[in-house]
Amino acid sequence: MATDEEALMWVEKYRPKNLNEVVDLHDIVESLKAFMRNPKTMPHLLLAGIPGTGKTTVALCIARELFGQNWKTFTLELNASDERGIDTVRDRIKDFSRYSRAAFGNVPYALVILDESDQMTGPAQTALRRIMETSSRTCRFILICNQSGKIIEPIQSRCAIFRFSKLDRKAMVEHLEWIAKKENITLAPEAAERIVEYSEGDLRHAINALQTAAVYKEGFVDEKTVLQVIGEASPKQVQVMLAKALNGDFIEARKMMYELIGAYGFSGSEIVRQMQRELLKVSYLSAEEKAELTNIIGEYDFRLTQGANSDIQLSALLAQFAKIGKLKGESN
Amino acid sequence: MKDDLLWVEKYRPKKIAEVLGNEEAKSAFLDWLKNKRRTKKAVLLYGPPGVGKTAVVNAASNEFGFRIIEMNASDTRTEKAINKVAGPATSFVALDKFSTESKGNLLFLDEVDGIAGKEDRGGVGAIIKIVENSLVPVIMAANDPDLEKLRPLKKVCALIRFQQVRIPLIIAMLRNICQKEHVEAEFEALERIAQNSRGDVRSAINDLQSLAEANKVLTLQDTMVLSYRNKDISMDDTLRGFFSAKSLSEAATLLSRSSVDYDDLLLSVCDNLPLRYADPVALAEAFDFISQADVFRGRIGMENWHLLKYFFNSLAQAAAVSPGSYKPFQFISPPIRIITLFWTKGKRTALNGICAKMGLRCHVSRETAKNDLVPFIKMILQKQPSSPIINWFKLTPEEVDFLLKMNKF
Repeated sequence: MATDEEALMWVEKYRPKNLNEVVDLHDIVESLKAFMRNPKTMPHLLLAGIPGTGKTTVALCIARELFGQNWKTFTLELNASDERGIDTVRDRIKDFSRYSRAAFGNVPYALVILDESDQMTGPAQTALRRIMETSSRTCRFILICNQSGKIIEPIQSRCAIFRFSKLDRKAMVEHLEWIAKKENITLAPEAAERIVEYSEGDLRHAINALQTAAVYKEGFVDEKTVLQVIGEASPKQVQVMLAKALNGDFIEARKMMYELIGAYGFSGSEIVRQMQRELLKVSYLSAEEKAELTNIIGEYDFRLTQGANSDIQLSALLAQFAKIGKLKGESN
Repeated sequence: MKDDLLWVEKYRPKKIAEVLGNEEAKSAFLDWLKNKRRTKKAVLLYGPPGVGKTAVVNAASNEFGFRIIEMNASDTRTEKAINKVAGPATSFVALDKFSTESKGNLLFLDEVDGIAGKEDRGGVGAIIKIVENSLVPVIMAANDPDLEKLRPLKKVCALIRFQQVRIPLIIAMLRNICQKEHVEAEFEALERIAQNSRGDVRSAINDLQSLAEANKVLTLQDTMVLSYRNKDISMDDTLRGFFSAKSLSEAATLLSRSSVDYDDLLLSVCDNLPLRYADPVALAEAFDFISQADVFRGRIGMENWHLLKYFFNSLAQAAAVSPGSYKPFQFISPPIRIITLFWTKGKRTALNGICAKMGLRCHVSRETAKNDLVPFIKMILQKQPSSPIINWFKLTPEEVDFLLKMNKF
């Protein structure tokens, strides 16, 4: 991976390179800067929070501040969602962390950035805990996760925990405007508002939406373009599946569901998330009906986390939609 | 169902004397409860399932007015958890000790042989401590008293052995129930149910109830289904029996007898359910039960197998949403999921490859790339088919083509 090549996705192009550039995380940044003044004092870090709030960015900034230009030499960046088993921990992380890097440059220790670490299996976490202990002289860990509760307690107690909350609306709008200016495009104020509203505090999502909208209508992003981009961002199948279910056609709706699982490889919770989004866009349902259906989605979203097989929960959810669709058809 | 109560509940013994068989064990237990517990505070009842261990304890509570504090295998039994529940329950004697209403607490630890070694760390040790300090009687029950880990328990307990209940006693009891429930049954039929139970009273009553509900007059012929079920039922037979069940208990019995894999069964029921219930309202209700069954399956995981009864209970309820409406239909097989995954494998692999490239560039996982990046990049490519981001992500022409066609299936 070449570093000097200019990034073309704006999420990368405008990713802050040092802690001073980071948006809207004042308290966290100040604490981290204190560590940077004397790197030996930095403990292992656990960065927790919802997606798109700057956790990975902050971790990469720390790597740059610690090691400068050659940060990649001294940093092992792994994504636990891709490699979640114990083997990765035992092989790659262990090998990387146990040797001192002092001979290769003026660096205090090596750095392991483990993204989405809450996806790691229990045994892998237990193994990691040992390694964190035995390699503390030669290596520091930055663990990144959405839910710190899924990280085993012994690891939590070995880390300084930083919680990233939803980014501030205003800061997000300002950041989008700043990017638009750099890219020489006009961004209508209501368009920026729409993007931020739709992204629910996820800056990565917002920047992607902005870039796509800028391609759609060259040089000028207005509210209409944004709505169009947002509308097309989710697969058509989800819309069609929802419509079929509400029409009482359970069997066809379920066929679409299996296509989403099969061809896209979507997880159950991702399908539920998209169903919820699509539901809000359906025009032939009243606000009350949408609220009722959203309640039902919520219940099954929870059962998904408890159950063993997401196919069953999704099928059951579609059956609920088919029932409500039928009752509605009868009352009209 | 003729009535909502399961017969095992309805005919649960109210007094120790009413518990079937095991006369020696019962009198030893009574003796302990009345006299010996001053010297030995705890007792361990052991023996095969369904022979009256729990029944004796419940009957004693009923007869002598103890309040039972129970912990069974469904509770976590680490040292901490045991102390939390059992500690307060055993460390004081009820104020109304001398009143006739209550003799205070009685700690009942059911299925102590189910205390898992690793999960319930310190559990056995904690029980011993509780027994030593307890001011109230402690009763434990186990199927297998020879387990290594229970050995320390045996030192602080009186041991009472429960045996299989003799067949003639079970037959007499079944006849008694038939009379009360106005069920006509051949003697040979009851004999067969009793023999088939191998001395397990609970399963005998359950069998009687499920057979009695399916047949007006119970004949020996009707009981043939018992041994047949006991052997092995294939997936198709299980599904057929399940979907055509005339009552909740018939479905439940069938499920507990079938030897097909639970997960396969749940998925097959899920696949075929819309063919069984055409009406969306009934379908939604049945699916809700299936969904609950899946939640129980999730809680069972790899070790909490004692929760399996709740899984079966939910599943059985799905069969009994509208029992009269069954019409035979052709089962879907193999499972829809497997067929779909087979036909879509190429697409899935292609998408995964694309997501891996994007993830590497943008510091995200494949999963995040799929959900957060692909939808937008697909749109950018639709507008600019030769966008420079193609090279930046190192996408092949085939991959670009794939992204462009994603919405068209």
